Amino acid sequence: MTSSAPTRSRAARRVRDAVAGYLFVGPFLLAYVAFLLWPFARGVWISLHDWNLLAVAINPDAKTFVGLDNYVRMLWGDGLVWSLDHQWGVRLLGLALVAGALWAWRRGAIGRGTALAAAAAGLLVFGFALGLHPGEGGRWGDRRFWPIVGNTLTFVALTVPAVAAMGLALAIGLNRDDRRSAVLRTFFFLSQVLSVTVVTLIWQLTLSPRQGLIAHAFRSLGLEPLAWVTSPDLAMPAIVIATVWWSLGFAMILFLAGLQEIPAERNEAARLDGAGPLQLLRHLTLPALSRTTTLVVVLQIILHFQVFGQSHLITRGGPNDATQVWVRYIYQTGFRNSELGDASALAIVLFAFMLVFALLQMRASRGEA
Amino acid sequence: MAGGRGARRVWTLVLVLLALVWLIPIVWMASLALQPNDLLARTTSNVAWGLIPWPFTLDNLAFVLGSGLTPRWFLNSAIVAGGMTLAVLATASLAGYAFARIPFPGKRVLFPLVLAGLVIPEQAVFIPLYTQFAEWGWHNGYLALIAPRVAVPIGVFLMTQFFRGIPTYLDEAAALDGADRWVIFTRIMLPLARPAMTTLAILTFLYAWNDYLWPLVSASRPEMFTITLGLASLQSNFAQSEGLGRVMASGVLASLPVVLLFLLFQRHVVRGIAMGSGK
Repeated sequence: MTSSAPTRSRAARRVRDAVAGYLFVGPFLLAYVAFLLWPFARGVWISLHDWNLLAVAINPDAKTFVGLDNYVRMLWGDGLVWSLDHQWGVRLLGLALVAGALWAWRRGAIGRGTALAAAAAGLLVFGFALGLHPGEGGRWGDRRFWPIVGNTLTFVALTVPAVAAMGLALAIGLNRDDRRSAVLRTFFFLSQVLSVTVVTLIWQLTLSPRQGLIAHAFRSLGLEPLAWVTSPDLAMPAIVIATVWWSLGFAMILFLAGLQEIPAERNEAARLDGAGPLQLLRHLTLPALSRTTTLVVVLQIILHFQVFGQSHLITRGGPNDATQVWVRYIYQTGFRNSELGDASALAIVLFAFMLVFALLQMRASRGEA
Repeated sequence: MAGGRGARRVWTLVLVLLALVWLIPIVWMASLALQPNDLLARTTSNVAWGLIPWPFTLDNLAFVLGSGLTPRWFLNSAIVAGGMTLAVLATASLAGYAFARIPFPGKRVLFPLVLAGLVIPEQAVFIPLYTQFAEWGWHNGYLALIAPRVAVPIGVFLMTQFFRGIPTYLDEAAALDGADRWVIFTRIMLPLARPAMTTLAILTFLYAWNDYLWPLVSASRPEMFTITLGLASLQSNFAQSEGLGRVMASGVLASLPVVLLFLLFQRHVVRGIAMGSGK
């Protein structure tokens, strides 16, 4: 009796803990399975079908299993050939970026893993993939898909460096404990809390060639206002400008958090050794921020890869698909053309693209940048 | 040294000017909302490029608040954002406490499985969620707008991290006194978790208020629009500039709650961003 009582109470406690554990985790787990895991699995399932939204809504059996056809049609085509000089301008530029990544690693600005991953991805994309194109009589299965991927990447490539560089500059400028810096930080961050539809409302009008604020400024300088949204060359810059304005604060906050981790004595010591502001930046601040920089860049890539509202509301994907982006293409394929199978395949490939960056983010936030 | 101070002054001036440039689009929206509609039909640059609201009127704000669907959209947003915030707080704090403290079988498998959900973006599930909710008849209801976000594991992740940081002797002492898990959770853990839960609440509310893609997919009846979605629907016919002042007034009203929330809880927002991105 005396010896078995503690054992029994320990066993009882284990049972109580098991019950309590599942009761506590239960509500979340239910939502997690029902609204995230299950839909995700279902998305994969739908992507393997020819699945028309309206037809299946009327008759649940009106779908046909087509295996990987949706993926093949999206990603591939008939009679594709590879040549060394296809799109050579963009490819050379991309290879230059690969070289840049390797150089940044040698200089210690970014981690080895990140540099090698970036270089490998860059070589694959610019060295190989962009050389593919339909030969004579050949064609892509989905003529719009790759240009839309290109638009999305262009948007990311224009937005992320601008946001990161300006966010860093502002963070360095405003990393002080006085009232003025605090007020300025608030000003820069304020646009970040607005919804995408408020941002597009503001910028649609600001960019308008007739009523817009920018047009007013141009006219007062005696210049002809620009038709931002309707011009094939300016539509992408237009949504990039709106996005940089919107999301700068986020990068600034993360850089500020990174700067706070640099001990003040290190700055002081370097300054006493006669280092100028630029030397300080190059040899002390930037290396100390390398983890934060990786995190900001990766987070911004993930965030802006999902761009939708700016393209949907400011330019409506136009003119001529110039600002059509991946998520808007999913939305339109699914809800305008009712092709849920194709739309799901698009979504799964987008997920695969983003998974790479999500894993990079986890590495970066664990401190292995 | 004098050169250094001069450079600093120029740098400060540049920052101040840039901050003003950053604010101008917001000021312009507010200023247009305060100008008469018929004036705006003719010009958006009446005084100082339209940045000064003159002639001044509150008609647009009064109109938007008093008629049309905007008040309904506002109510919908409040219900959705409030409901989502409560649901996320409840589920995330319960699950976070269990993952951090209660030894239950299967935890070692379950926790990584939950974290894995962090890599699934909304865009990867909105199509199947749409068909699922269509089958259940959930669309054009509040539950459909609230539920998907409750499943996102970032809140559980943050709360687990937080509870892990609380010293164990507090709950161990309570357990020795015979308190059960529920009592420990509600009497000891939740009061300690207030800062973390405030941060999570504000970030969730901001997200819910501003969410666009999912409400666009799920709510098709204008009476079920959130203010963010309703504002998008107003933008389609604004090129003709009919009622420009009213559209801008809707934009101002849609932004007021989040801007106020941000100004009041700036510290929490800033810390939440740093925490949520794994810093």
